[in-house]
Amino acid sequence: MALIETRELSKVYTLSSKKSVTALNNVTMSIEEGEIFGILGPNGSGKTTCLKLLLGIIFPTEGEISIMGQNQYSVVTKKNIGFLPENPYYYDYLTGPEILKFYGKLFDMPPGIIRERTDSLLELVNLNNAKNLSLKHYSKGMLERIGLAVSLINDPKILILDEPTTGLDPIGCKETRDLLKKLHDSGKTILLSSHFLSEVERVCSRIVIFHKGNLLTTGTLESLLEEYKAENLEDLFVKAIRKFDSETGQTEEDAINLQSSV
Amino acid sequence: MKKAWTIALNTFHESLRKKTFYILLVVALVVIGASRFFSFLAAEDELKMIKDVSFSTIEFFGALIAIFTALAAVSGEIEKRTIYTLLSKPITRSNFIIGKLIGQSLIILLNVALMSIFFIGLLFFKKSPPDIQTFKTIFLIFIELILIGSITLSVATFATDAFNLIFSFFLYIIGHLISYGTQMLERIENVVLQRLGNMLYHVIPNYENFNIKDKIVVGVDVSWQYVGQTTLYGIIYIAIAVLIGIHFFYKREV
Repeated sequence: MALIETRELSKVYTLSSKKSVTALNNVTMSIEEGEIFGILGPNGSGKTTCLKLLLGIIFPTEGEISIMGQNQYSVVTKKNIGFLPENPYYYDYLTGPEILKFYGKLFDMPPGIIRERTDSLLELVNLNNAKNLSLKHYSKGMLERIGLAVSLINDPKILILDEPTTGLDPIGCKETRDLLKKLHDSGKTILLSSHFLSEVERVCSRIVIFHKGNLLTTGTLESLLEEYKAENLEDLFVKAIRKFDSETGQTEEDAINLQSSV
Repeated sequence: MKKAWTIALNTFHESLRKKTFYILLVVALVVIGASRFFSFLAAEDELKMIKDVSFSTIEFFGALIAIFTALAAVSGEIEKRTIYTLLSKPITRSNFIIGKLIGQSLIILLNVALMSIFFIGLLFFKKSPPDIQTFKTIFLIFIELILIGSITLSVATFATDAFNLIFSFFLYIIGHLISYGTQMLERIENVVLQRLGNMLYHVIPNYENFNIKDKIVVGVDVSWQYVGQTTLYGIIYIAIAVLIGIHFFYKREV
């Protein structure tokens, strides 16, 4: 059963009366319940735009989104979503437990449950020793980990993670990967955006590759490797992008993808 | 409403951490404190001076705090990108705006309360305890400040900080002068200008309605009916400002 579906989803930003930029172009994809779905793509390919559209933070120019049968703006839907933004920034005067309490309250969670979840999540992300430290004293890796804890406060069915290992050291990356597998085993559906190929290769059951706002290809890693006759994900990634660029006649210099809207 | 309250408390705590709040508060307290040094005046005139300066200071510095708090309420969340985590949670955009309004109103309340306590202490020091008219004046200043803050908050949902800052101060000045403006317009024979003036008079909030200090200082009592009507006038404008803010924030991409 598809938990998340996008149909012909497009996002165009108008820069001026004559110029616009297509951040996402006619994307149709579906994410099944219980899978770890990876959105891959170079910087500026439309990954974050896609996630922001799914979360209702920005609005599609065209197309539709369905999450658990509802639209992306539904408060009921959002109760089932956990989100970790890229380079998460929270109110830095709060401590870890305080930030979790704040977000827990936004989910209408009872205080007792918030306390329980806070204790278990701080242990899960290994921040128990930093309980009394305000976030302004956190390292980048610690912020990423508290961000992950915040995204899990409501025990969500769907976890949306935007570049979750940015700023983490190799040990932190491995711990995050292990955690994602653990969460996947507990039945969560995970949507993960990353430009780290090895990370996606190791955890994702299905992937999609974005480039210049376009969905190039989607499927399981095995099926895509076979389709593109690629040796590994890196090879697949390069082949998919080159194929798109040669078919559309675009070069690297077109990356900004400025188009005339007139 | 619980979610709006959670956002309100967070806004309150965050605003309390801003240096601007304390700097403005300290300067205001110094100005109020300085008003007692007019001891060369006759005792009665000195009291009038203390009241006049104190009410004006509470109103002016309160307006500065209201504007700066409201400016930071929306753009601060966008600049620091905390808005992403907030809007991805099960809150509506109206929860966000109402929460921000309540939060900034709590800051205004704290600011007015602290300045008023200092001012009232000064009155006791001068052996002239405050009467109910003093509290009526402070209350109407408080409503005016919430209105000023709500308009800045509303404009923050669609305009830049620079524009909002200029607009808010411009409106603050115009809102205090509008009564004089309409008196002048009555003398103008051009019908179009007169109609334009009348339209502006009904659209722009008349902040002078909240200013009863001139009467109170000279001992003229202001009725509860006037206080009630002016409060209602303020609440209507606040509601309109918040609805406009919510409308634009629902359309805003962050």
